[in-house]
Amino acid sequence: MTHDWWKHLILTLGALIVIAPFYMMVSYSFKSPGEIDRGEGGFFGRQELMVDERCVQLRDPNRDEITTARTRFPNQTDRQIHTAMVAEATVDCSMRPVVFNYSKAFTEAPLLRYLLNGVIVTASIFFIQVLVAVPAAYALAKLKFWGREAVFSLVLFCLLIPVHAIALPLYIMLAKLGLTNTYAALVVPWTISVFGIFLMRQFFMTVPDDLIDAARMDGMGEFAIVWRVMLPTAIPALLAFAIFSIVAHWNDYFWPRIVVTGNRDLFTPPLGLREFKGDGDGSFFGPMMATATVIVMPLIVAFLLAQKRFIEGITLSGMK
Amino acid sequence: MAELTSTLAKPQSGEQDAARRQRRAAWALTLPAVLLMGVILLVPVAVAAVLSFTDFSLGNDSFNWVGFKNYDRLFTRSTYAKMFVATFTYVVTVVPISVGLGLGAALLIQSITHLREVYKTIYFLPVMATLLAMAIAWEFMLHPSIGMINRTLELGCGTVLEHIWPFMANGCVQGFPVWLGDKRYAIWVISFIGIWQGFGFNMVLYLAGLTGVHRELYHAAEMDGAKSGWERFRLVTWPALGPTTVFVVTISCIRAFQVFDTVEAFWPQGGGPNKSTYVMMFAIFEKGVQQNLIGAGASITVMFLVFVMILTLIQRWLVERKVHYG
Repeated sequence: MTHDWWKHLILTLGALIVIAPFYMMVSYSFKSPGEIDRGEGGFFGRQELMVDERCVQLRDPNRDEITTARTRFPNQTDRQIHTAMVAEATVDCSMRPVVFNYSKAFTEAPLLRYLLNGVIVTASIFFIQVLVAVPAAYALAKLKFWGREAVFSLVLFCLLIPVHAIALPLYIMLAKLGLTNTYAALVVPWTISVFGIFLMRQFFMTVPDDLIDAARMDGMGEFAIVWRVMLPTAIPALLAFAIFSIVAHWNDYFWPRIVVTGNRDLFTPPLGLREFKGDGDGSFFGPMMATATVIVMPLIVAFLLAQKRFIEGITLSGMK
Repeated sequence: MAELTSTLAKPQSGEQDAARRQRRAAWALTLPAVLLMGVILLVPVAVAAVLSFTDFSLGNDSFNWVGFKNYDRLFTRSTYAKMFVATFTYVVTVVPISVGLGLGAALLIQSITHLREVYKTIYFLPVMATLLAMAIAWEFMLHPSIGMINRTLELGCGTVLEHIWPFMANGCVQGFPVWLGDKRYAIWVISFIGIWQGFGFNMVLYLAGLTGVHRELYHAAEMDGAKSGWERFRLVTWPALGPTTVFVVTISCIRAFQVFDTVEAFWPQGGGPNKSTYVMMFAIFEKGVQQNLIGAGASITVMFLVFVMILTLIQRWLVERKVHYG
């Protein structure tokens, strides 16, 4: 290790730069607005009780409330009662900055709904991609049929077309069908993964023919062979593809931004965060960073738990 | 499906029958994929090509053929000149640096014994993270007064750095840059974030490539007199990584061309100070979707597809020739 010190120095400096925005994001999600403005409080902030001004304003007592509260404050003038009630509200609205930030993240915008949408869209895309790509990949790898070369050339050609690049004509087609602002619009363009076909085909090529012949001897149809024989052998490739697909679509911002306009019920997590940013004033840095943390964390945690799988998955899909 | 099983249930009558059955099953299995490829990938390319010669807009039933007018504008209007400049500046900056850093990090990580996994994990984090969220985090880091970057730079004021680094001296007197609001810096900030996000991906691909380099090759090179580390790299590692490099460069290019999230997050209106970050994807979004100028958006789409196809064809040509650099 001693003569490698300069390598570690470079790598550590690099690591600090890479981590800096993550550090800041998580740290701001813990801090009070004052601490963020002044840049104090270290990583966790001092977590002193802070007052949520908006919450206090909302509870500002009106005449009726003061009247009904008279029984609780005997022998006091209305002004005194008012002051006492505001003081009560202030106590109730005090909380630790971390609680404030994260509770605001979930209450200011329907963040849970966004996360659920993210899960629904990502899962549907992956499910349909597998349903379409795996049978095609099997046929291309293991069955002899007229037109196989043509279909495979088509796959190779389609690999050239990034879906984001043709977003505009896709958007027009969906708009003509009246499908913008639906779940379908979020899912449909991704139902065909040419890359998935290619990846699974390469994998199926390595499966011995004997296995398939044996299954045919047992009287299995080609359809059953795909799902009951081929798929179980392809779990590593399928996992790699799952990681590839889920990461891409959970994080995607461009496509949802185009086909979902205004309808909050369909927002995916990145769209929700964008909306939050558009609405927020300066004091909302904390809750906004809490939202960002909540959105980024699921994949990061999954990655940290299964690093090897993720890196293998991404490289496998990268090396073709 | 029902038809498929019924044909299978019939008693087999020889080789030919089996072959026919297989053919039919094969088409049943590939048909959904072929149809979807047609409708979702090929038809839109054709639609974009056709619309780029029209003044079509959504909500208008009739449209006129305008010939090459949309393309003509692409090459004469100064807005589009800025678009090409921004896009190419970004690609030409991000691709070499993120590939270089990816290779550098992979080589360094491979040559050390401790903490390998830790570095690998950290460098890979930005690849997994939602870029839009990280763009917002970067926006705070780059905030002119309370951002971490300018605060860190301010620490250098009054130290020796102020004397040896003109940028620092300037910043301490006149204030440090406003980064995202300054047309001199905006495109470089975007590029920096692009590199930050992408080099970990390249590193992982290079690490996989490095495990494929045979040990014996290094011994052989040493026998032939390649003593220094640089010589070994030039003679063995770099040529062996040729295929990886071709792939990494192509995929980095295609990704770089598609930059959008950061630009939209920082400047929702208009593509940065003085349009200095008006990249193609943003232009397609702005013209085609927001302003409903579909013809203009479609012509940019076609240009975009042409660039991506040229890149990929170059890559395939290189791979088929099995070019090894060196």
